[in-house]
Amino acid sequence: MPSPPTEPNSDGRPDTPPAPDRPPDDEAEPAPSETAEDAAATTLGAIREPQRLHPLTLLLRVGTSLPALVIILFPLLRNPGSTENVTSLVFGALYGAFALPAILLQYWRFSYRITPKQIVIQSGVLNRKNRSIPIERVQNIQIERNLVARLCGIAKVKLETAGSSSTEGSLAYVHQGEARKIRQVVRSFQRGAQEADAATSEDAADTETLLDMPLRRVLLSGAFRFSLLYLAVIFTVLELFNPEALVERVLRARGRVGWVSEIVFSHPALAILATVVAAVFLGWVSGIGVHVARYYNFRLWLDGDKLRKRHGLFTVTEGTVPLDKVQALILRTNPFMRAFGWYELKVQTVGLDVEEQGHRVIAPFAGAERILELARRVRSVELPESFAHVSRLTIRRRFIRYTAVWSALLLPTVYFWPADWLHLGGVALPWWGFGLVPFILGWAVLQYRNHTYAAGEDGFYIRRGVLSHYLWILPVEKFHVFHATASIFQRRLGLKTLFVDTAGAATFAYPEVIDAPAGEADAQFSALYRRFRQLYRGRMEAEAGVPGTRLAPSERPRLPVDEPPE
Amino acid sequence: MTASADTDFADVAAGDAVRSLDSSIRTIWTIKMAAFSLLLFLPALFYDLTHLFSPDSWLPAGALSGTVLLGGVLYCVVWPRLRHRAWGFALRPEEIYMEHGVLQHVRTIVPLRRIQHVDVSQDLIEREFALGRLVVHTAGSRSSDVVIPGLPLSEAEAIRDKIKRFILEDPLTEEPV
Repeated sequence: MPSPPTEPNSDGRPDTPPAPDRPPDDEAEPAPSETAEDAAATTLGAIREPQRLHPLTLLLRVGTSLPALVIILFPLLRNPGSTENVTSLVFGALYGAFALPAILLQYWRFSYRITPKQIVIQSGVLNRKNRSIPIERVQNIQIERNLVARLCGIAKVKLETAGSSSTEGSLAYVHQGEARKIRQVVRSFQRGAQEADAATSEDAADTETLLDMPLRRVLLSGAFRFSLLYLAVIFTVLELFNPEALVERVLRARGRVGWVSEIVFSHPALAILATVVAAVFLGWVSGIGVHVARYYNFRLWLDGDKLRKRHGLFTVTEGTVPLDKVQALILRTNPFMRAFGWYELKVQTVGLDVEEQGHRVIAPFAGAERILELARRVRSVELPESFAHVSRLTIRRRFIRYTAVWSALLLPTVYFWPADWLHLGGVALPWWGFGLVPFILGWAVLQYRNHTYAAGEDGFYIRRGVLSHYLWILPVEKFHVFHATASIFQRRLGLKTLFVDTAGAATFAYPEVIDAPAGEADAQFSALYRRFRQLYRGRMEAEAGVPGTRLAPSERPRLPVDEPPE
Repeated sequence: MTASADTDFADVAAGDAVRSLDSSIRTIWTIKMAAFSLLLFLPALFYDLTHLFSPDSWLPAGALSGTVLLGGVLYCVVWPRLRHRAWGFALRPEEIYMEHGVLQHVRTIVPLRRIQHVDVSQDLIEREFALGRLVVHTAGSRSSDVVIPGLPLSEAEAIRDKIKRFILEDPLTEEPV
């Protein structure tokens, strides 16, 4: 170890760690700019000295490692007198000798500081890691406080950048006030020093609440999110606790429950019905529970040029999305919500949040008018009057494709179906799977019906989805790469798939236009690119006076060069 | 917008002035596909040899390895040609246009200002033929790297430098994402 850590102060306050091994490039920062920024830095309180994490972090980390200790000592706890416990005692001692010092050392050797140019995080005991994140690359700063952290008054700060697919830097944990300060400091450095003073106060004049969700609204919103996923989780957990014993105990305890269960078990159909009803009910209730836990006290507000939101019951999440980092808008609704006119609004950002798949929920639940109003605050959105359908031939192509896949799955099972297994109506059970073919057709028709697109002045609008309806709004200025593809089957039918790539788009459920007529897709392909180019030419003209690059004509990229450049 | 500005994107998607890849890329593809075919052929040959004298073989001797060999040879001979014919690209003042794909036709426009960085890479076989691959990285999700194979190395490097130049000289200083 290059430098032995000193003892922490006895009062437990975060002190500055010793021997900051500063990166050499940092020292090389030009002195004049340094002093100029120092003036701003003092008013902002830039965190120039390397800071430690909050001391309570130690306690929390030890707390999270305790389950491992319990597992190690499990035999001992179960059977205290036995002589076979020596091994678990040895392991326990090893744990004490290595894990606890490791936590301490990690804490001592972790430091962060924020200069006007970058955030430097140093960590690691044996392998020193020196991570510097350029300030202007930070896309999102998220402050997370789970229940324990809230009780202790500390918070976790996550820094996300465009380059990486996960959180680039994580400060767990710092003091709650410190977390806010970090965010303010970074944001004000990003905006430049002159606007910095406005940013120092939390409720500056330019904050404006966009959406507030009282508890009733959150409950209502949860009631529309029926999900079997949570149910599956619940059942898995129950599985671990031996549900039969539990159920039996409940049944014995209450005569009335026993009476109900007797009726239910008297007929298999009743049992199935009861199970389904219970599953639906539990799925519904658990959906509400999860939803409330996540979006309790939801508040979205506009703070200057960035969106901010705060929500959560146990874990309070605070997120910031700069408006100009929004890559796309996504409106979503499911069949229940649609029936009552409710929608959800998400924005696509680049720093990919693992939980939200790069999509940030801006409004979990609001009426159509309200959602559109919100969307307009984020980007100029002019919902086109009419959406164009893709080609009707898509039904045929999808039907053939799905049927082929379904047959490919069924036929081997038919072939290998043992003679003594279930044969319904004299044929092997898998044959009956072909009864689903009409439903496949129905699904393909629904996919066609719900798949439309429109090119507006300011963006590309795509609607998709059979059960959940999605509307993607891709702004022209955030277009990235343009694709038009035609598979061998699409070419036979004269169809094409059109896709405009955006930064941070999800890896599933692309906003593609599948099976547009080939001519139309090609026209749209060039029209979209032309629009993109026109926009940027306009910007270049505003910036440099000429609608193009500063390169001389002979220097411009051009290949093939069969025609002489102008 | 000037007239000349309009004319050079009239051909944006028309694909009239595209360049094809260097023809020796066909040989490279053939070599790579031959290696792949050999990988398939050897197990088939092994199967045929071990079942050569077995009385209850359900395939005539040599049928499996013969089929694989025939298919492999056809694949090695025909596929590189088809692929080469399908490939075309153009470097234009503000974008890269490319089209490729035998079964799945793909046409792509990568605006130069969307490029995060550009690499030129070479593998062992490509080095023998002095060819390079231009790898263009964007922030898009599906097309985060777009590859143009089979360019003479010097040309790939020239394209790379031109793109770099364009990005450096871009009057717009905003971030790409």
